[in-house]
Amino acid sequence: MHFDIDIRKTLRSGKRSFTLEARFQSDSQRIVLFGPSGAGKSLSLQAIAGLLRPDSGRIGVGGALLFDAARGIDLPPQARRMGYVFQDYALFPHLNVRQNIAFGIERGWRNPDKHVRSEAVDYWLEMFHLQHLAHQLPGELSGGQRQRTALARTLVAQPAALLLDEPFAALDPDLRVQLRNELDQLQRRLQIPTILISHDIADVEMFGGHIVRLHDGAPAPEPILLKQVES
Amino acid sequence: MHPTWTALALSLKVACWATALALICGVLAGYLLARRRFPGRELLDTVLTLPLVMPPTVLGYYLLVLLGRKGWIGARLQETFGINLIFTWQGAVIAAAIVAFPLVFKPARAAFETVDRRFEDAARVLGLSELAVFFRVTLPLAWRGILAGALLAFARALGEFGATLMVAGSIPGRTQTLSIAVYEAVQAGQDDLANGLVLITSAVCVAVLLTAGWLAPGRILNR
Amino acid sequence: MRSSLLRKFAIACVALGAGALAQGAELTVSAAASLTDAFKEIARDYEARYPGTTVLLNFGASGALLQQMAKGAPVDVFASADQETMDAAVAQGLVAAAERKNFVRNALVVIVPRDAATAVTRLDDLRQSGVERIAIGNPASVPAGRYARQALVSAALWEPLAPKFIQTQNVRQALDYVARGETGAGFVYASDALLFKERVKVAFEVPLALPITYPIARTTASRNGAEASRFSAYVQTPAAQAVLVRYGFLKP
Repeated sequence: MHFDIDIRKTLRSGKRSFTLEARFQSDSQRIVLFGPSGAGKSLSLQAIAGLLRPDSGRIGVGGALLFDAARGIDLPPQARRMGYVFQDYALFPHLNVRQNIAFGIERGWRNPDKHVRSEAVDYWLEMFHLQHLAHQLPGELSGGQRQRTALARTLVAQPAALLLDEPFAALDPDLRVQLRNELDQLQRRLQIPTILISHDIADVEMFGGHIVRLHDGAPAPEPILLKQVES
Repeated sequence: MHPTWTALALSLKVACWATALALICGVLAGYLLARRRFPGRELLDTVLTLPLVMPPTVLGYYLLVLLGRKGWIGARLQETFGINLIFTWQGAVIAAAIVAFPLVFKPARAAFETVDRRFEDAARVLGLSELAVFFRVTLPLAWRGILAGALLAFARALGEFGATLMVAGSIPGRTQTLSIAVYEAVQAGQDDLANGLVLITSAVCVAVLLTAGWLAPGRILNR
Repeated sequence: MRSSLLRKFAIACVALGAGALAQGAELTVSAAASLTDAFKEIARDYEARYPGTTVLLNFGASGALLQQMAKGAPVDVFASADQETMDAAVAQGLVAAAERKNFVRNALVVIVPRDAATAVTRLDDLRQSGVERIAIGNPASVPAGRYARQALVSAALWEPLAPKFIQTQNVRQALDYVARGETGAGFVYASDALLFKERVKVAFEVPLALPITYPIARTTASRNGAEASRFSAYVQTPAAQAVLVRYGFLKP
């Protein structure tokens, strides 16, 4: 899948302002946005998902133009089919695990039933070993369980790409290693294009792919290719 | 039917309709002001809160002037639809809804502001329309605050007197609510009637408070 | 520091309280709503004539005023718009029968908005469909409403017209409704109609069995008995009577 990102956005808060300039093109199945905190990585990902409107520029994913300031194109997040996973997972606190995962299946005005039956939901519950937790509320889950639920919720909607904002940041080191491996295997099996944000070099080494380095809102000198992954 | 029961039925009818109206408008306004940023937002918030601090008779006067036959809105209503709201129970509903509105609007706005926007964004990314996001994520997370406001609004609408008297008058069976009936009974020296009306009104207020207590957050968490 | 502030606050409270208790010569007069404008002027004249006296005016429907007094409101003088309310006051021991005097007369009229389309020349005309609503004081507490009912009952029109009645808390409210065009007609005093002559016009005078006379009396509970009697007497002097006539009342 081809990613073509070229955006600019200035954010103002009181007297301070932050200007983001993110530019990269890639055909890789795995892209890592790497850089220190405050570099603008989350903002870039949010822009791709449609949760942030750049001041100017262009966002193209898989040949589809999601955003083009010059031509007045700005697809709403609903239409982009980007699987965005928040840093703290943003699981709906009033719905149990089953309902959270099933959330995107029906687009109507009513939430899924507590005991909703669905092949897709059951598949992902099994895939992530969450069956015994299906009726728990997010508040009752551990960090790793929440991360898996958030991933399942995103994958059920069959997104065109996965956008993961620091997926391992909220976990302790041991869990991080385990889940990093799981994500690696998952991505290989599903062959779903994934952009991952991290400030941890270990994530970069494990995950590999096309590395985009951001520093203080702008791309650092040259994108480094650490590891090519078979598409 | 005994005047007491007529007045009670009317009070309940007016209060229910007024609360429903205040609820719809209050939730809408609360949501808009919580989520949208625009110049003059806080000024609008102040204006919308005015009925809370304005004396009901002042409010009643404004309504009478606006909705009356020669009023800006009233004249048009008369011309286009042949409707006159003065001296009608619908007019009483409007008066009560306006005084009750801030009691829903303020808590609704506060409740919506505490709902983390990321939950709404997560729903959007999963493909839900704005309305679906509102009904499936925002409202379920904010409803307790809104409910508290709605109960206050109902109590306020039930007891509304000053504005209602001006706009709807005191027509037994049509606009003479409990509060107004008490007032008139006292004025006419009908102490027995007044006592009965006051007892009924007090009983209804206690019932509303008990319902509020029963619906309190602690109870609702046990799903 | 805090205790000195507290002390100043306490002294201020006491001073305010003392000020409130200090009467001077203060007179509370409860008068029928129709007397509002005339009595305001008469009170000013009285205060000018007898400096050191403050007249506090309290207007409302006579029945409502009676209830206030009955429940213990500190009133010195009571001026009612009909004999019936004053009779009730005497019966309840609120005023001294010997003190009561009729001081002015009034007429009951039917008014219509100035731009009224339907012609109304007598009570029967109120049945026309052009007159949708009629403002009338609540007979239970408003003398003007009672007079109107007497007249309508005599003409056998009380029942037929009942669906059109909009009952008001006092006669001035009826006047207001007609002035605004909210009702097609209303029963008020001739004195009230005069007040709003730009916005309402008198359709006709209502025939009544007995003339409308207003009595005034000192209350038994008055703490300024002498002052109250003096005010009561003042209202009957030529100077005060001239004021009343100017406001549309008639000599007693």
